Amino acid sequence: MSAALSPQTLVPDAAACAATLARLQAAHEPRVVVVGNPNVGKTTLVNAVAGTHLKVGNWSGVTVEKREARFQRAGRTVHLLDLPGAYSLSPHTPEEIITRAALLDEAPDAVLNVLDAGNLERNLYLTLQLMDYHLPVAVALNLVDEARGKGVQVDAAALARLLGVPVVETVASRAQGTGTLVDVALERATLGTSVRYPEAIEAAVAALRAEMAPLDTLPPHAHRALALALLEGDPSVRGRLHATGHAPLLHAADEVLADLAAQGADPLIEIAEARYALAGDIARAAAPQAQARRTLTERLDTLALHPWLGVPLFLLLVLLVFRLTFSVAAPFVDLIGGPLQTTVTGWATAALAWFPLGRDLVTGAIIPGVGTVLSFLPTLLVLYLAMSFLEDSGYMARAAFLMDRAMRGLGLDGRAFIPLILGFGCNVPAVYATRTLERRSDRLLVSMVLPFMSCSARLPVYVVFAAALFPRRASVLVWALYVLGMAVAFVSAWVLRRTALPAEGSGVLLELPPYRFPTGAVLWKHAWRRTASFARRARTTVMATVAAVWLLLAVPAVGGAAFASVAPQDSLFGRVSDWVSPLFAPLGFGDWQAAGALVPGFIAKEVVVGTLGQIYLGEQAAAPTPLGLLAGLGEAVRGTWDAVVASVSALPTVLALPSLNADAGASLQTPLAAALAHAFTPAGALAYLVFVLLYTPCIATVGALAQEHGRRVAWGTVAYQLLSAWAAAFLTYQLARLWL
Amino acid sequence: MPDVSLDTLRPGDSAHIVSVDSAHPLRRRLTELGFVRGAPVTVIRRAPMGDPVQLRLGGALLALRAADLRLIQVRA
Repeated sequence: MSAALSPQTLVPDAAACAATLARLQAAHEPRVVVVGNPNVGKTTLVNAVAGTHLKVGNWSGVTVEKREARFQRAGRTVHLLDLPGAYSLSPHTPEEIITRAALLDEAPDAVLNVLDAGNLERNLYLTLQLMDYHLPVAVALNLVDEARGKGVQVDAAALARLLGVPVVETVASRAQGTGTLVDVALERATLGTSVRYPEAIEAAVAALRAEMAPLDTLPPHAHRALALALLEGDPSVRGRLHATGHAPLLHAADEVLADLAAQGADPLIEIAEARYALAGDIARAAAPQAQARRTLTERLDTLALHPWLGVPLFLLLVLLVFRLTFSVAAPFVDLIGGPLQTTVTGWATAALAWFPLGRDLVTGAIIPGVGTVLSFLPTLLVLYLAMSFLEDSGYMARAAFLMDRAMRGLGLDGRAFIPLILGFGCNVPAVYATRTLERRSDRLLVSMVLPFMSCSARLPVYVVFAAALFPRRASVLVWALYVLGMAVAFVSAWVLRRTALPAEGSGVLLELPPYRFPTGAVLWKHAWRRTASFARRARTTVMATVAAVWLLLAVPAVGGAAFASVAPQDSLFGRVSDWVSPLFAPLGFGDWQAAGALVPGFIAKEVVVGTLGQIYLGEQAAAPTPLGLLAGLGEAVRGTWDAVVASVSALPTVLALPSLNADAGASLQTPLAAALAHAFTPAGALAYLVFVLLYTPCIATVGALAQEHGRRVAWGTVAYQLLSAWAAAFLTYQLARLWL
Repeated sequence: MPDVSLDTLRPGDSAHIVSVDSAHPLRRRLTELGFVRGAPVTVIRRAPMGDPVQLRLGGALLALRAADLRLIQVRA
């Protein structure tokens, strides 16, 4: 078929194309942005193109990531910007806002538009919108193998002719065609044909462009796109123009829109219809014999979305991820927290023998504190691998579809279910798992309430208290605490949704992408990058906090005691605990010991038990034996090997049902339990457990919140949790006193 | 046959889009996702608890809540 689309298209003049191309070829360090719908394989493509030379840059402060790959090509440094997936350049999601902002503000030298060959019509909508930006474009026709499997054969040459830009066929997951792609983009990217809208719309665009012509504050390449966005009533473009002092332009747009309305025109609909009409024509011309074939995706969906089997299957998968994460990672967690930490402590003790104060700070605070945080790394890595697999395979969207109805009562959509459930294992990765939510307010809401989901680190505290004070009803008590945590999370979500965080936009609207088997390299890259960014934080926030607590424990608050050799009750820590303890008196545990144990619990909940032991039994942490360099290395290697063996042998058990009170028996009748039974009333112990359940889970969770949502949100959440914990413990104590 | 709203279709039914409620904020999004006049749409299935609804629109699979489907008028 020939390019019989001329009445609907605007072909840029040859001089403009030549000038664009010349600028691109002369660019010293060309910047190429990669744009496409979600699930078309952009990241896979960027990885395949940039290969092992990929240098990843993270933009801090934005929730949604955009990444840059830098590599050498024909003597030039090419910057490849991997932008988040977008269905449209009229932004509705944070992803789309970032993508559009990159086109407007970063003035890229070229745009690489990635298309899914199997879903051409929908993908071309974005392409045609992109053409209105008047930037040089090259197209990667990706997933051609998958399209062929569906019976869709795209004629790349015809597509190139119809769009007026170069088109390269690629299979990014096997690096097919990706080599030539960059060369084509850098040598031949050019202005493509754009949609010719109905006469009235084109006249309005011309009028608005005339208004923009004298303004040197707006990027000239974007004049047509901005005019169209104004006609579509795009609120974010209006907001930007308003904020940058372009009120007269907005007035002009209002007048033009009033004129159009008077003529009975509906620009939003007419613009979209014109784009879809052309996209449909191009898709039919480039892939004429597209025939519906029952795909693997449809066959899998009859099982995955089955009316009865779908939900049990999903819950089973969640259980599998949960068990995989915590049982496979557990031996490595024990390794980092145990033998490795002992080894490092031994070395530090030997190395700092000449400086006792520094030695105590390092071995007593920094190594255990940072070690606790680092011990999360294996868990995070395994979880991210599992999550990336579910996300990239296309299953996550199905999970959201299945659970949507159940989550709706909270004003959330189905995707929120997964982070909440993961919170039972560990709150830290659960906070990061909120990234799969589309709306920012949902991410924030779920992150703020999920720390109420009782993570596994709280279990030892429950077990010790249950054994000490409620030995006959231990498992019911532990179960009740889990349920209470869930209830508080759900009530908080309900309240926050109706007060501080109303839903943005409306309803769930999600694409169910075709199932794909993700490549190991991409999964690993995703998981590793996120894990590493968590590890970096262990150096800052965490180190400062543990040092502060250590200092509180080291500074004597009574005369005559020496620094760092003072009993806990005589330290500043003891004094502060004593000072805040009246706050806890209405909760039934107003002595300084109980209050004091809560403070290190802020670093990690499992520390609460250790601190209680230290305070009530006067146990001192056993001084580590200094190890020689070689002996230490030997220990570390042996420990690593044991962890690998334990981890592999845990694999067959991941499907076994988890047991909530697995280690309850071991802790029964310990000296600590006896001491607690003596020190706490049953009502006070219940209130203490409720407080431990609900207050800030750990410093690592606070760090994760700060990284995802900023410090203000993190500390706001801490305050909210402390208040909730206090209120719930108060109620518990006052009610329990009546019965117990 | 008169126009009906998309939520009244049963799994397996096909129709063509006629219009999207012009007053609703979701209209922009729906329009951009391809709910434009004349586009063919097929209802595939409802989620286990009856809602949301899986659709085929053009070559893509989408899921929408029934409440939002009420904004869309279709003709068989």
